[in-house]
Amino acid sequence: MANAEPFADRATRMLRSAPLAAVLVLYTLYSALPFAWIATMSVRTTSEISANHYAWPTVWHWEKYRAAWFDSNFGTYFWNSTLVVVAAVAVVTVLGAAAAHCLARYRFRGNRLVYFILFSSIIFPPQIILISLFQVMAGYGLYNSRLGLTLVYIGLQLPLTVYLLEGFFARIPQDLFDAAKIDGYGDFEIFVRIVLPVGMPAIATTVILNFIQLWNEFLFAVVLVNDPGLSTLPIGIRRFMGDYFQDTGMIATGMMIAVLPVIVVYAFFSEKLIQGMTAGAVK
Amino acid sequence: MKGVDTRTAAWPTLMVFLLPALAVYAAFTAYPVFRTFYNSFFNIADLDTARYVGLDHFRALAGDSTFRASVVNTMIWSFVAPIIDVGTGLLLALCLYAGVPFARFFRVAWFTPVLLSYVVVGIMWLWIYNYDWGVVNATLRATGLGALAHSWLGDTHTALAALMVTHAWKWAGFNMVVCLAAMHSLPSEVLEAAELDNCGWAAKLFHVVIPLLRPTLLNLYILAFIGKMKVFDLVFIMTDGGPLWATETVSTYVYKRAFNWNTFDLGYPSAIAVLWFLVVIAFVALLTWLFRQKDRLEF
Repeated sequence: MANAEPFADRATRMLRSAPLAAVLVLYTLYSALPFAWIATMSVRTTSEISANHYAWPTVWHWEKYRAAWFDSNFGTYFWNSTLVVVAAVAVVTVLGAAAAHCLARYRFRGNRLVYFILFSSIIFPPQIILISLFQVMAGYGLYNSRLGLTLVYIGLQLPLTVYLLEGFFARIPQDLFDAAKIDGYGDFEIFVRIVLPVGMPAIATTVILNFIQLWNEFLFAVVLVNDPGLSTLPIGIRRFMGDYFQDTGMIATGMMIAVLPVIVVYAFFSEKLIQGMTAGAVK
Repeated sequence: MKGVDTRTAAWPTLMVFLLPALAVYAAFTAYPVFRTFYNSFFNIADLDTARYVGLDHFRALAGDSTFRASVVNTMIWSFVAPIIDVGTGLLLALCLYAGVPFARFFRVAWFTPVLLSYVVVGIMWLWIYNYDWGVVNATLRATGLGALAHSWLGDTHTALAALMVTHAWKWAGFNMVVCLAAMHSLPSEVLEAAELDNCGWAAKLFHVVIPLLRPTLLNLYILAFIGKMKVFDLVFIMTDGGPLWATETVSTYVYKRAFNWNTFDLGYPSAIAVLWFLVVIAFVALLTWLFRQKDRLEF
């Protein structure tokens, strides 16, 4: 990490180890080219693509994005995804932060048991709740509804949210709480005026992580929502692929529409996102 | 400090904090889990009528050859693929740790696949494996190896491996950032010795880096293992379990039995889900215990 060597020296040293450089370049191509390929296809028409699948766009057909958005329903799917994901992330953040604070700060009988029960469901295979959730949702008239999917998403992301926030909240110095108490803060004031502001970096991390995971969620969306007008983006893309298998160009445009929000979030918050993803795994 | 006890609170206060989360957990996780267990003893032809069948579903599973194929595929995937994922992640992290130029760019390029949804990754790789114009076959033909061009997802011998490659492509970046974070949290003097800049790096890798990162690597292995035991989306999108159940996984089979085949019975797939739930928990417990034992023996 602490590499004081000047950049140029390092570069020449790296270039000398040609095999390593070759591996780096090859892996980077392998990792990044598929995405670049889809990006170029998204601004080419299907007939151009059929003529040559690997050509650089000669004319940039930005109007394809407009067509995908309005004529191929990707606008509807995008709106559905946004509605469901934003609502679910907002609610799960509030519920999760409150529960995490309670588990991190207060001593009470059953604290670790509650934590363990919440945490352990991270490893559950989704099928164990999938089929009966379908029954429950149908029973309550929440099948085929964005509200139903939102509720399920809140439940899905709750364990991870509590787990990440509990870990962070537990490291907030106890002195802060003692001082607040002496100043006459009540329990809820402490939560709102100390835990939330101090914990904001961790909260931001969970928000970003939850957003990306739910934005990409597929299994519950495909089982719990059937109406095309209510589908989220992943389901919409798959439906479009099923209906217009040959329309490579428009499928690529739809894929880019689904990916762009994630890429934007990543561009702005890459450090936070990576922190969130690594928090659970490093020991 | 008597009087300023911030570590305890009255039960009503605790409940205001905890109860909403517990209610969501009870409604959308705990209750469905119990209901699935309950369902697995019934024949549920439609949502209102259920006929008790005891352990019949579990007995039927023993003779279900599709189920057996799906278990074998999932097991192969779960035990083999994490080694590829974690190994690739570790090597990539070492490259970045050794201080290659443009490290930031490389990290972004390698991590991006992690962020893509399975639908996007699946369609992308359907095209990469396309027989006529996919990248793989196009490259083979262009380099005079056209004889090797292949219907990668259409052949029972290569379909599962092709899916595993795609899955590894998506997840290598995740393992890379975790390994990198673990390396940065180690004492720097120790790892400086293990930089990849001169000969004997393989020895350093195996004698210095891997032992130091053991806990992280084992953790990543378990995480990847859990992920593969659940694998659904990619299979569903790319092959739907085919050809001839060559890529069927337990998750896709549960889905098909519950929602796709017209054998409308939610009891049988519930039984599979219950069995698999127990298998996953048993394996995770076993792996965690095994890895702990080994740690203890070494010290």
